[in-house]
Amino acid sequence: MHIPDGFLNIATVGTTYAVSAGGVGYGLRKARSKLMEKQVPMMGIMAAFIFAAQMLNFPIIGGTSGHLIGAALAAILLGPGSAVLIMACILIAQCLIFQDGGLLALGANVLNMGIIASFAGYYLYLGTTRILGEERRGRLFGGFIAAWGSVFLASIACAIELAVSGTVPIRVALPAMAGWHALIGIGEGAITVAVLSFVMATRSDLLELRKV
Amino acid sequence: MKHGFLDQYSDLDSLIHRLDPRTKAITTLAFILALVLTPPTRWYAFALYFALIALVVLLSRLPPLYVLKRSLVVVPFVLVIAIFIPFFKQGEVAGSYNIWLWQVNVTYSGLIVLWNVTIKAWLSVMSMIVLSSTTKFSELLKGLERLRLPLVMVMILSFMYRYMFVVVDEALRMKRARDSRNFGGKHIWQLKTVGNMIGALFLRSYERGERVYAAMVARGFDGNPRTLSHLRFQMLDLYFTACFLTSLAMIGTTILLGWGA
Repeated sequence: MHIPDGFLNIATVGTTYAVSAGGVGYGLRKARSKLMEKQVPMMGIMAAFIFAAQMLNFPIIGGTSGHLIGAALAAILLGPGSAVLIMACILIAQCLIFQDGGLLALGANVLNMGIIASFAGYYLYLGTTRILGEERRGRLFGGFIAAWGSVFLASIACAIELAVSGTVPIRVALPAMAGWHALIGIGEGAITVAVLSFVMATRSDLLELRKV
Repeated sequence: MKHGFLDQYSDLDSLIHRLDPRTKAITTLAFILALVLTPPTRWYAFALYFALIALVVLLSRLPPLYVLKRSLVVVPFVLVIAIFIPFFKQGEVAGSYNIWLWQVNVTYSGLIVLWNVTIKAWLSVMSMIVLSSTTKFSELLKGLERLRLPLVMVMILSFMYRYMFVVVDEALRMKRARDSRNFGGKHIWQLKTVGNMIGALFLRSYERGERVYAAMVARGFDGNPRTLSHLRFQMLDLYFTACFLTSLAMIGTTILLGWGA
């Protein structure tokens, strides 16, 4: 889902950069008011963790494989503000070091996989655990919904950006992106559930961290 | 981790390597911006852009084949998204084919969009490769900090860069252990194993983060990083920026005047 340069027109580039700067600014304000300097090394290492987790491929149906985005996982474990900062840093590093995603498209990539995926993941998780309770069942179900929803919504945003730029007609882009990522989202959801249940079994105190 | 390819050529010495990271970041941004603003049918303009980037590659002493090979990173996205555009875009039909039961139309406007995204993605990725292979990441971060990227982001990025190698090594060790016990990891019922691996990776990283912070506090960390900063603009930066931006402006002028359209 990393959009390269050239796929977005200049109006879309400007808009997505402005929205992303706002979202990252919100994350920075939250981090500054609640976390202080302590979390900065931690967030760096968590960013390295999500980056490494993205390298572990998991199987999807039909012999293809996908990999984690991790925004929902980061948002559930550390809170949406931290997740936005972590995902933004990962995407900046992927763009600058690996040329994964373009420089002008960075705003759109941060918007899709950072801001939309983190906030959607966090609030879907919060909503589901409100309804089903904070027990194991509710949390795991919430984790699945959050991860699936974050991938699905991010892909829809990606399709809209490509369509608004005149690159792909919306009637093709939207069903193709949303349909394919509805499938990938199942993998993301299953992995997120497995990670949450592993953390619950070993260090359940980490799920009670103050979320920022 | 097989990370020999990172910063692989950043130790070379050349005109481009000696430039200030800020100069390189800004000229790269200007290049990509000019590229994206260029209308797709000005064919010769893209040849000029290519000549410009090829000149920079020559000046930087990077092996041209290495740059070409790395630039293939855009291929998957182009293949998945862009290759279908000519078939779905409506417009004047360039060719019509019968493939078994379907009748497939290829339109001119669709082909132009395909050309547009492919050439722009490829040329801009080449300029990014030049930026990232002639600049050490730590230097680039220092430059970005001077260009007002928020300090917290710069710190997270530099911690991430330091520990990326450690954590990725850890992940690859787990993967190797799993593959040697499980006939690889490509079966659907192994999803839970991947989940447990990522869970274990999270715990180890989290605990490492706590240890790193404690060690830093023990050495007097108060939230403000102190680094020796030696970034300085030189005459070389001025000359390079002037030449580069003039070339871009000249290409831009030919486009505005409508030559070759």
